[in-house]
Amino acid sequence: MVEELIIESTALTKSYGPHVALDSLDIRIERGSTGLLGPNGAGKSTFLKTMLGLIQLTSGEGKVLGFDIRTQGDQIRQRIGYMPEYDALNPNMDAIHQVRYSGELIGMNPNIALQRAHQALEYVGLGEQRYREVSSFSTGMKQATKLACALIHDPALIIADEPSNGLDAQAREFMLNTLETTVNQGQRSVLMASHLMDDVERVCENIVLLHKGKLAAQGKIDDLKAIDKEIEIHVWGSPGKMEETLTDRGMKVRREGRVMRVGHNGEGSYNEILQAAADIGTQVRRMHDHEASLEDLFLVIMERLGHDVKTSDDLLGGA
Amino acid sequence: MSESDTDANTPFEPVESKEETFGAETPVTGQTKMQAAWSASDDDANSAQVASVPQGQIFEQIYKPWEGTLNPRWMRNWAILRHHILGIFAKGHRPWNLPTKLFIFFVIIASMTDVALALLFGMIGEPTLYDIWGVNRDNLYGHVMGFFPRNILYYPIVAALLVGGMISEDRSHGTSALYFSRPINRFDYAAMKFLSVALILLFIINGTLMIYYFVDILVMGKGWAWIIDTFPMFMATFVCGMILAFTYTSIGLALSSISRGRFFPAIGLIAILMGTRSMAAIIDALFDKSLLYIISPYDAVAHVCQALIGTEMTYEHPWVWSLISVVIMNGLALYLLANRVSSLEVTRE
Repeated sequence: MVEELIIESTALTKSYGPHVALDSLDIRIERGSTGLLGPNGAGKSTFLKTMLGLIQLTSGEGKVLGFDIRTQGDQIRQRIGYMPEYDALNPNMDAIHQVRYSGELIGMNPNIALQRAHQALEYVGLGEQRYREVSSFSTGMKQATKLACALIHDPALIIADEPSNGLDAQAREFMLNTLETTVNQGQRSVLMASHLMDDVERVCENIVLLHKGKLAAQGKIDDLKAIDKEIEIHVWGSPGKMEETLTDRGMKVRREGRVMRVGHNGEGSYNEILQAAADIGTQVRRMHDHEASLEDLFLVIMERLGHDVKTSDDLLGGA
Repeated sequence: MSESDTDANTPFEPVESKEETFGAETPVTGQTKMQAAWSASDDDANSAQVASVPQGQIFEQIYKPWEGTLNPRWMRNWAILRHHILGIFAKGHRPWNLPTKLFIFFVIIASMTDVALALLFGMIGEPTLYDIWGVNRDNLYGHVMGFFPRNILYYPIVAALLVGGMISEDRSHGTSALYFSRPINRFDYAAMKFLSVALILLFIINGTLMIYYFVDILVMGKGWAWIIDTFPMFMATFVCGMILAFTYTSIGLALSSISRGRFFPAIGLIAILMGTRSMAAIIDALFDKSLLYIISPYDAVAHVCQALIGTEMTYEHPWVWSLISVVIMNGLALYLLANRVSSLEVTRE
């Protein structure tokens, strides 16, 4: 079965003078939830603006929800709900009127926009706060209001730029739940740019990873994790020697104290580890497949691209 | 049924907490559950804990789809115009501050002093005083282009108050993203902002001019001959009001587009209008040369209007030079406005 693509681009390139912001991107994003990742300057903002049909391409082509990004920007923006990263609310307006106005800007009838604004604010958990001025809102409430603005016209695709930015644990949890509900219950698609790997992993099934304007990785997170499959072992006695032995046998080993992660090279890897331990008289007290997180995956991809980074924070910082 | 069985079968766990009991003696704290959930108060940690106590399903998140149709471009532009203009009168639209609303009200009333005096002297039958205040060529010019008090105290200050935050606040609040992530293009955005300010100014300047003219006709019982005689003058004055409102708006919005606050564009507009006129007046007084008035937006418009209405010219240089100056001033201001509006960002500033 061919999945319906919500975003597709072919050799999409955008240059600002000599600087190439997006370099020949071939991206296919299916319906559902997708995380947009990349270090600072990777081209995430340019990519989002391109998808919104706001900037002219240098070359290549792209479609969002079946509409050409070069010529049908208005149609695209009518069908997309964009939630910006930074403040995008008039602090002196009530939340309800702010959301209603955002609906009117899309082309909704004022009365219908008001009715939908009530529903959208109820949905994002601000039903009781809808007549309060935005200036009195906490960061979480402002983020929720921005999400309500994006959802008012029931868009087919929601682009959320750092949706959990600056939120405390509880508000973050609620925001991520809301996005999940929008995908699962509402059957809407979400493209979420974030530098928080946990958030992306929690909400998204797919990722698109950009690096220096190029596509570094794309696909289902579970499929991509397979490239970083490891076996975790806890050893007792001569862990240094065990590491050396495994390395000598051509295995890739990462060690921290008595815990080692050994690269998975197929079914024979387990026996090979046990054999190595038996040869040098080391006990293997625990052995199991290590389930890589998105953070691990990101680090592996960055390592392959030639970056020596310890955590995603070293590279990611904003869209 | 045992207590544990009851617990297992009860979907919502009742809370036996003194703080959760609401009665007449319960102090009103203003703390709602959502406030607690979103930790909006100073006592965030405690609030969050209170909200997280299991107390039954109070919020059910249900995604409600919408399948309505969206209106075309003109309706979206109408929404922007409505938002800005209705904000002067009603809540729920652009929040204009109280001093702006009060000043607009004051200026509307003050702009109609000639209406009141013409009516008063017309009705008491005092022809000499009525001739001073009634509708004639000079008084029509004076209603729109009179310098004191209208073009020093009323219209420039109203224009300054209106344009102050019109674009600069979209930049500082990030609300430009609200527009440009919707199907609103830069031209529509700038044009609707421009129209909003210009229409409010026109309502004040030309609205009161129309009241002045038509009240005189109705109350004083003017005949067709008088109307045919004065109507071209009235229309010329109406056009002058439009040129004045256009010029103040274009310069003001250009200043607003290069700023991030309300103060600079407002004070900048008044400084340009008053500064250029003061400088030209000094040069005129010292060297008896009126040419420098072409750099003063007010004087350039006034000179063109004198030619259009046909009142006595108060400037020595040809009025066409002033017309060229008005065109250049507006052209530069609109170029700056277009340039800066195109730099407004959706993703980040």
